[in-house]
Amino acid sequence: MTNSPTGAIALNTFREAVRDRVLYLLMFFALAWISSARVVALMTVGSEAKIVKDLGLAAIELVGVLIAVLIGVGLVFKEIEKRTVHVLLARPIHRWQFLLGKYLGLAAVVSLNTLVMTACLHLLLATHGEADFSLLPAIGLLWIEQLVMISVALLFSSFSSPILSSVFTLSVFVMGHLSWSLRLLERRMTTTAGRLLCETLYWLLPNLERLNLKAEAVHRVPIPSVQIVLAAAYGIAWSVLLVALAAAVFSRRDFT
Amino acid sequence: MRTLGTRVWGVCLVVAVAMIAVTSAKLDRGESRTDSWDLLYLPNGRYLAVASLGQRQVLADFIYLWAIQYYGHYDISNRYEHLDRIFREVITELDPRYFDPYWIGALIMTTETKDLERALALLDKGFVANPDQWLLPYLAGWECYHARRLDLAAGYFEKAIRVPGAPAVIRRAYAAMYEKKGDRAVSIAAWAAIESDPSVDERGHQIARRHLDSLRVEQDIETLQQAIARYAAKHGANPGSLEALVRDGALPSVPVDSDGRPYGYDRRTGKVAPASTHVLEAR
Repeated sequence: MTNSPTGAIALNTFREAVRDRVLYLLMFFALAWISSARVVALMTVGSEAKIVKDLGLAAIELVGVLIAVLIGVGLVFKEIEKRTVHVLLARPIHRWQFLLGKYLGLAAVVSLNTLVMTACLHLLLATHGEADFSLLPAIGLLWIEQLVMISVALLFSSFSSPILSSVFTLSVFVMGHLSWSLRLLERRMTTTAGRLLCETLYWLLPNLERLNLKAEAVHRVPIPSVQIVLAAAYGIAWSVLLVALAAAVFSRRDFT
Repeated sequence: MRTLGTRVWGVCLVVAVAMIAVTSAKLDRGESRTDSWDLLYLPNGRYLAVASLGQRQVLADFIYLWAIQYYGHYDISNRYEHLDRIFREVITELDPRYFDPYWIGALIMTTETKDLERALALLDKGFVANPDQWLLPYLAGWECYHARRLDLAAGYFEKAIRVPGAPAVIRRAYAAMYEKKGDRAVSIAAWAAIESDPSVDERGHQIARRHLDSLRVEQDIETLQQAIARYAAKHGANPGSLEALVRDGALPSVPVDSDGRPYGYDRRTGKVAPASTHVLEAR
């Protein structure tokens, strides 16, 4: 893979990201968060394992999203700011390959982070005899949510500054978790135009709640395999769509 | 000049530290938490769930943890003012399958605020959201029993029995509740079912047998007393013996207790006594 331009860019993006102090800070924060769950659980009456699982899953999701946003928004902008993009694009390489490489590199970082945190959470649970592998499908979907957020960050990063991209990406995260409410609003709308607007906005935004099966996993509610597969496919489809959009935007940019 | 500036800054530093210490101490005294107003604006769990952006379980955990500490804070005299709202409208709305807040909240309600109705409402809500948790109706049953609401208690134990995996001991509570409220037929049927169930351990069988014996004695004595009353009304005197009831057609046969011993009968008073009392009196 490293022989292909995309692979080489992905590898370099990965190397660049793992040298970033922000990543280590976030990972340290996440591991401290997960470890502290055991201490927090001491203050409760019953439900110790539930609290550890809840905090662990929240840490995996939120820190992963923060990594995706904080590192993702600078991916393209840094190359443009340092003018390295000119050197790169002067080579026989398509702009979409450049962007896909960036995406895959950061996806590898996020995957590594998710793996480390998942291992840490399960180790913490196993040391108290509460190992629970039924959390894995939920963690898998959280990982896909992070991939979607990388795509969003990449899209905004392809035409905007890091600060604005961070704001936009975090806004998409917030809206993505609230987009289901557009359907409720639509039902209360009295005008056709209002209903159409709600419906359009609903379809234009990724519904990140579809990738949220944390409650079911923690309470061991059986989750149909079809639902997991459909949710994963939904997330991956959004990620592909957003990377394609980012590639389209990036290919039209003029760096002169 | 530089020395003067350093001194000025030094004085400022000391004054600032002193001010922080004094104001902080005064504010701490003023903040002695004697009311629960800070809870007044805690939104309903349904709204908090929306604001949590997919982290409703963690939010429920933190509010539950806070509640555990808060309700153990004996300085706050009116801390129970929003108890029902915290447990029924916030924590359990955020995470309806969160099992512990239901029974912990209900226990606080019954032991601290003596509010059985709200405790039952919380346990009912918990059972609707967690139909696999027999402990919730079981606990509701005992709370009703302690409040001498035996009808309700029996109903809750019946709900608990129906949950797959519920322990057999709940069937004893169910049978005992009908026994206490005087519904002998249902109680005998329930104890008999326990006695004949091979999955129940020997101790359970013994307990069921003891209750069945006692209930059957009560039933026999009641039957005999009714027959004696009918006989006395017909003949103007009590029968000479219990066998006279059979001869007169008032009874198909004279019952004996589970050990095969006859019941004691006092012709003068017309009263029937259990065989054990009769034997003791004879000695």
